[in-house]
Amino acid sequence: MDAFILNQLAIGASVGMTYAVVAIGFTLIYRVLTAVNFAHGEVYTLGAFATLIGAATFKLPLWAVVPLVVATGALAGWGIERAAFRPFRRYADEASLKSRAVREATLLSSLALGIVAREALDIAFKGEWLAIPQDYLLNQPVRLGPVGVSSGELVIGGASLALLAALQWMLMRTRTGVAIRAVAANLVGAQLSGIDINRVVVAVFAVGSVLGALAGMVVSLAYGSVQSYMGLTVVIKAFVAMVIGGLTSLPGAVAAGVLIGVAESVAGIFVPSAWTEMVAYVLLIFTLLFMPRGLFRWGGA
Amino acid sequence: MPRPAVVLLALLLVVVPALLWLAGNPYAARLAQLVLLTVILAVALNLLTGTAGMLALDTVVYFGFGAYAAALLSLNYGTSFLVELVLAGAAAALAGWCVGVALVRLASIFFAVATMGLAISFHATVLNWGELTRGPMGVRGIPGFRIGEWNLEGWAGTYYVTALVCLACVWVAHRLTHSFYGNAVRAAREDEEVARALGLAPRRLKAQVYAVHAAMMAVAGVLYAHSNRFIGPDNFVLLESALVLTAVVVGGLGSVAGAALGAAILVLVPEALRGVGHLRGLAFGAILFASILLLPRGLLSEVRTLAWMRRALAAGGWGRAGRRR
Repeated sequence: MDAFILNQLAIGASVGMTYAVVAIGFTLIYRVLTAVNFAHGEVYTLGAFATLIGAATFKLPLWAVVPLVVATGALAGWGIERAAFRPFRRYADEASLKSRAVREATLLSSLALGIVAREALDIAFKGEWLAIPQDYLLNQPVRLGPVGVSSGELVIGGASLALLAALQWMLMRTRTGVAIRAVAANLVGAQLSGIDINRVVVAVFAVGSVLGALAGMVVSLAYGSVQSYMGLTVVIKAFVAMVIGGLTSLPGAVAAGVLIGVAESVAGIFVPSAWTEMVAYVLLIFTLLFMPRGLFRWGGA
Repeated sequence: MPRPAVVLLALLLVVVPALLWLAGNPYAARLAQLVLLTVILAVALNLLTGTAGMLALDTVVYFGFGAYAAALLSLNYGTSFLVELVLAGAAAALAGWCVGVALVRLASIFFAVATMGLAISFHATVLNWGELTRGPMGVRGIPGFRIGEWNLEGWAGTYYVTALVCLACVWVAHRLTHSFYGNAVRAAREDEEVARALGLAPRRLKAQVYAVHAAMMAVAGVLYAHSNRFIGPDNFVLLESALVLTAVVVGGLGSVAGAALGAAILVLVPEALRGVGHLRGLAFGAILFASILLLPRGLLSEVRTLAWMRRALAAGGWGRAGRRR
């Protein structure tokens, strides 16, 4: 394989890692509530804007921007849960928590919240592409054998892997993580053993949103610009990754996210780049129609 | 008491035009026409999302298809809008049937996301297929409404064309919703298994509703292209789908009258806010959020409208529809 194709693969994998990190926020929430948070993309946008404000307005050093972004993400997750999900969780039994009415009401309420956040940012920042200050950018070229990538793409890949490892540690080794897994596995059983569902749900939203915000941060640092609509396409691709990965599986979502990123950049070799946006949707429709349980689980729905 | 249908006809074809004529304000006439256009979209989406229970975000696909079909046909081949209404409606119904057959298999959230993907793909296609759609520049100089030598480009002609098409669409939606067909579709919405056990074909019903909704949206698109005289990719972004969805949710999912009411509110409220600045999208989001939180059944809920409609039908108030069953 020549270097150009290897390059495309490397870029695709790094973009795919950001889809994977955003998809994990989705998957965690889906596992616990069987609901989809359509405002998740705005968390990603907020993370990027927090980076911009920290870097351009307050001129914080890069290590100080990270806690700012983490705080923004956690606050956004808590706010989304509070405003768009909790009001519809009136009863604590499993049938009503996961009922179709609740799922569709929260879909609409989170969609509405997302629109409000996006339009508010659009008005506040006049809808322009805003540049991250030059000295924060991660765009030094790096050579790895025959492949030349930018340092930002390496950081995206490395940070995503680190975040996934941290998440795995949290889910396996901390009390909160165990509670999250308990609720995901058996909602009634978890309640009976004294787990507070509301706290677990807040924790899930906070963790998922921190991941989303950090993904927004590394992407804005790698590509250098921020805009109020940037979350929209990423969130849909992350959703596609979740579906292709089999809805509830974290490794599946990660693998599917990378797959989408690589498929897009490989498609970019053959068709004009404007059309590569469609690759994810084509993948989605084919998966939904022919493999409704995801690429990694065979059998009927 | 006169029949509701007579009241509706008199209101749309006599009272409103008379008021617009007295006001003599072209902006008010344009606004009235825009309300009627949005009513077509909301009534069509209500069939799909309200009556058939499929949450769709692909309004702009069929609406945009109709608009681009009308614009390109009239500019390249000089067709009349009547021909385009038939062509675009039929083509959208066919496309909607094909897409519908595939998509109705998806459960609620997945259907919503698949249609969202369709909407974004449509926008990308219109934006990038420059040779056909003139890309981001949009299509300019679309002729107004004309039948042969009969010029309907003025505000009155535009209004009457839109009002007649709108009434036709509302009538179709009314007959589909308030009938045994509507009952069957509602049964398919509530529980596919039960509907199947009753001898219905729920997926076929849903695909049919999807096709009808696509045709209505395309018809609205044709009217939009000829009344706006300019269309571009920015007219068909995802936010516009969310607008129509908001209208349906605010009005009351499953209620035809509610959808029309919601459409009127959603067009007129942002117009009132226009002076404040670029608040349109924010207003939609806030209205949708408040509505789903405070009034989840909408202003005119489905149950109330159906009960009202049933009484009216039993009293024969809707003419033939009542007596024929």
